[in-house]
Amino acid sequence: MTRKAQVLASVLALTVSMTALAACSSNNKNNGASPGGSQSPSGSASADAGSSGGKDTITALLPPVSSGFQDRFEQISKDFNAKYPNLTLKIEPASWEDMTQKLDTQVNAGSPPDIAFIGSDGISKYLQQGMLMDITDAVDSNTYDDFDQAPIAYMKKGEGLYGFPAYMEVHALGGNRQFLEDAGIDWKKVQKEGWTFDEFREAIHKGVVKDGDVTKRYGFVFANSGVTSRDYLNILIKNAGMPSAFTTDLKYAYTSKNFLEVLKDVRLLIDDGSMPKELGSIDAGKRWNMFLTGQTMITGKGLATFENSANKNNEKIDANDGSAVKGSIKVDYIVLPVPTFLGQPPMSSTVVDGYVTFRGKKEPTPEHKANIVKAAYFLASGQVAATTNNELFAAHITQSGRKAAESMTVNRNPDNVAAVETLLSHASPARPDIPVELGAKSIKLEDEVIIPKMQALLANEIKPEDMYEAVKAAAIKTFGEDGVVKD
Amino acid sequence: MAITQTVSSGKKRRIRGDGAWGYAFIAVALLGYALFTAYPVISAFFISFQEYKPLGSEYVGFDNYSATFRDPLFWKSIRNTIVYTILTVPVALALSFAIAILILPLKKRLQTTFKAIYYLPVVASGVAMSVVWLWIFDPLPAGIFNRLISIVGAPNQNWLGASGTAMFSLVIMAWLSSHGASIIIYLAALLGVDESYYEAADLDGATFLQKLWHIVIPFLKPTTLFLLVTGVIGSFQVFQNAYLMTGGGPDNATTMVGLLIFNNAFKYFEYGKAAAQSLVLALLIAGISMFQFKFLGKDVEY
Repeated sequence: MTRKAQVLASVLALTVSMTALAACSSNNKNNGASPGGSQSPSGSASADAGSSGGKDTITALLPPVSSGFQDRFEQISKDFNAKYPNLTLKIEPASWEDMTQKLDTQVNAGSPPDIAFIGSDGISKYLQQGMLMDITDAVDSNTYDDFDQAPIAYMKKGEGLYGFPAYMEVHALGGNRQFLEDAGIDWKKVQKEGWTFDEFREAIHKGVVKDGDVTKRYGFVFANSGVTSRDYLNILIKNAGMPSAFTTDLKYAYTSKNFLEVLKDVRLLIDDGSMPKELGSIDAGKRWNMFLTGQTMITGKGLATFENSANKNNEKIDANDGSAVKGSIKVDYIVLPVPTFLGQPPMSSTVVDGYVTFRGKKEPTPEHKANIVKAAYFLASGQVAATTNNELFAAHITQSGRKAAESMTVNRNPDNVAAVETLLSHASPARPDIPVELGAKSIKLEDEVIIPKMQALLANEIKPEDMYEAVKAAAIKTFGEDGVVKD
Repeated sequence: MAITQTVSSGKKRRIRGDGAWGYAFIAVALLGYALFTAYPVISAFFISFQEYKPLGSEYVGFDNYSATFRDPLFWKSIRNTIVYTILTVPVALALSFAIAILILPLKKRLQTTFKAIYYLPVVASGVAMSVVWLWIFDPLPAGIFNRLISIVGAPNQNWLGASGTAMFSLVIMAWLSSHGASIIIYLAALLGVDESYYEAADLDGATFLQKLWHIVIPFLKPTTLFLLVTGVIGSFQVFQNAYLMTGGGPDNATTMVGLLIFNNAFKYFEYGKAAAQSLVLALLIAGISMFQFKFLGKDVEY
């Protein structure tokens, strides 16, 4: 190698090394503040803001909450800046698939966004990490009172408030109107008065259509693949006198005999032939496909937005559009309640998602905190919330949102609107009193014991009694003999 | 004294001369190794003694290790991983070897075409591949495998949803994909066998199987050992297929140790426990690799 070539190679090697080091160094700098150029509490701009109400940037990590949500980000940022000229709302879009991973990475690096759109059930997880920002002292009464009390309670943990809710959706079931009527089911009565497990069992059995030994249409199909079986079990047990994993005196509830009875009923529906024996492998996409292609009379879980999806597919079928679901039929989507068990009152399972407020490694300044509250409230209320919730067919949960939505038209079945309101009237209440550590233990028990055993139960590999005993043993091991319900 | 001076000046000469250039040239690779391999391993070692939190971790001694060894799910995941390894690695090696032997006599262009075809799954996205496999393993009668077995009158199988078939389904997936790299390595080794050995065997009237047994297999022993060791290591680290196809279910029948570590780290934020488990896994893999080299690599010459 000539002297010249050696020098040149060394310079190149050194340059690459320095680039790598510079990149790491630059990343470290960013991690020290907030991602995406945010001026977090530790940043200089925040310090300025703290002294004079000066310029500040709020970062938000947001998924495609509704179909047009991410398309409106630029306009949302502009509108926010027009309302608060000294503030900039910097939105980082994320897909639903990437959302958790992106957020978790940022949280564990100690530099999360100021606001992230997540489910309220994720609050415990991040609070345990110490990365959530309690905004209680930064929210005035006008802002707080704009929200319905039931959904905003889901954003609380203990005495703290950790963001604002965007919507409160109820986990219901969805039926095909034509098939329900063919099976002689008075769905309007069911929407108003609900149904017991025995009534439900009989109804879905009537919905089964067979061709010889082959089932052409099931009465009921619920997504149960992997962790989705969690939703199935949860919506059922809420209607069996167990609205939460913990009783009001903080004893673990799923050791109750009622839990065992629900497990027995889960098997009954499969053994009846009303649900497929392969239920444990049917994912959310598959069961929706089965619903649209007429392979099931009722599906679950059902969210209000499914009516919108069904309507859109109907329009495509009418227009002979090739993008309609292959083999699909026109479906008039009917919202149905989950049956009740053992004479217990109905208790709707709800999902409350919203704009959760995070903090970085350094304590946020009061001014920056106030600015984050302004941004979170801007996203969760008024025009932004009205447009998003209308796209989702979700009920409005702020007064300002309802007012903004007055001028908007939504093509919804009024019976479904009324049915959702009925379901929301007995929504399971939020449980901010459950300590974070207890909640985390319950989630782990659910992931490591309940869901795996539920999968085995659905596959008919264990009996309901086996699952019940396994859950009970794990619960006693986790919470102690005195920490569980004994009935 | 004179000898010491000579040695000393010799060292200086090496460092100042070509040796110094050598160090300069490997600096980038060394830096990359230090940053992205050595540092994370050392960091994981320290984290394994902590309850990790972004705002300040707490030292917990050997708690994470004792919790790991007391956790029945950890042992179940180790058992699942060993079963998966035993079922996949030898078959994968045999399949790769057989395909390489079949490709070897072909013309160069045809050889390249086959190599490309078999290598394709390696470069394809794992997620995309999983979607295809989920379609193949569709539990309803419309699923491809269910249609296939219905031809012989077998009943519908809940491939990924039943404990009896879930692990086997992942094994089938491993058997039928991702042999590209092994095939290419075997082919390269086969091309390295001198023609004179075959000619001598022909003169002695050796059959195809005799040539395979007495020439090819002994010559390919270093290659086989390399593929076996890397295959076992890869199999112990398997994560993607279980994560995307079964999520570890049903009833943790397909929870591999890699998936368990991922769940502890990224689902429950228990980085300390995950770090402890990953170090235990690393030690296990190192032990198995040493065993393989000691007992299978005795007469291997490189």
